[in-house]
Amino acid sequence: MENNELQATESMDIINKMINSAKSKLADDGLLIIFWGWLVTGSALIHYTTLKLNINHGELVWAILMPLGGIFSAIYGRKQDKKKIVKTYVDSYLSYVWGAFGIALVITLFCGSQYGIKPTYFCLMILYGFVTFVSGGLLGFKPLVYGSLISFACAIIAIFLNETDQLLIISVALLGSYIVPGHLLRSKFKSQQHV
Amino acid sequence: MFKELDPILHSQLRLAIISLLVSVKEAEFTYLKEETGASAGNISVQIQKLKEADYIDIEKKFKDNYPLTICKITTKGISAFESYVKILKQYINTKK
Repeated sequence: MENNELQATESMDIINKMINSAKSKLADDGLLIIFWGWLVTGSALIHYTTLKLNINHGELVWAILMPLGGIFSAIYGRKQDKKKIVKTYVDSYLSYVWGAFGIALVITLFCGSQYGIKPTYFCLMILYGFVTFVSGGLLGFKPLVYGSLISFACAIIAIFLNETDQLLIISVALLGSYIVPGHLLRSKFKSQQHV
Repeated sequence: MFKELDPILHSQLRLAIISLLVSVKEAEFTYLKEETGASAGNISVQIQKLKEADYIDIEKKFKDNYPLTICKITTKGISAFESYVKILKQYINTKK
């Protein structure tokens, strides 16, 4: 692109082209959504299996895998930040939304230790639904919005289930709100990289 | 009678740079280079002109021991861009 004088229509074309180019870039590669989707689903299913088979201390799976997931996310997030050559407003809003989600998650888990695990699972599914609904809206990525509705629906179903079966419904919630939309998001992100 | 188009923005590359910056929070020099396809030297000159007009802020720092230039549009830059687009629309509408 040279630095020539312009006609009015040429100017408008440049403005449209540049703004569209900046807006069409997907702000999230979906990897952390997929990662957490599988990690929490895996943990829930392992915990469920240990309960069904009467194996003690199955809940330890959470205590082991969640901190490891947190460390991986922090390292991956930092690397991604370093690679980014542009910071959009969506990036900024997403970091606040996920930051608030993280804080709410920690508070919910803490409250769970006081009030029991049954209301905790319900709250977790509400939070999963909330964060994916807002993220989907910010990214303009509908599958995340639709997926969040599955999580909300699972939260309602969970009210009528016992603690053990709630672990299964959490897996369904994550499959619908994290795993499937996460893979779709990642494939869209990858296809953009090749354009 | 039409207002005159802002001469700072009425050039191909400066307009492209400001249009990119108006759409994002901040951008590295590399991003501007990739999106506009212009040479590094040319972009350097143009962002300097935009900075002199207070349309953008330029922050220089280091990333992994390499120099890094980050550009961000200012409030004055946003107003100038909006006025430019407004006048441009008037021009285009009268030509129709």
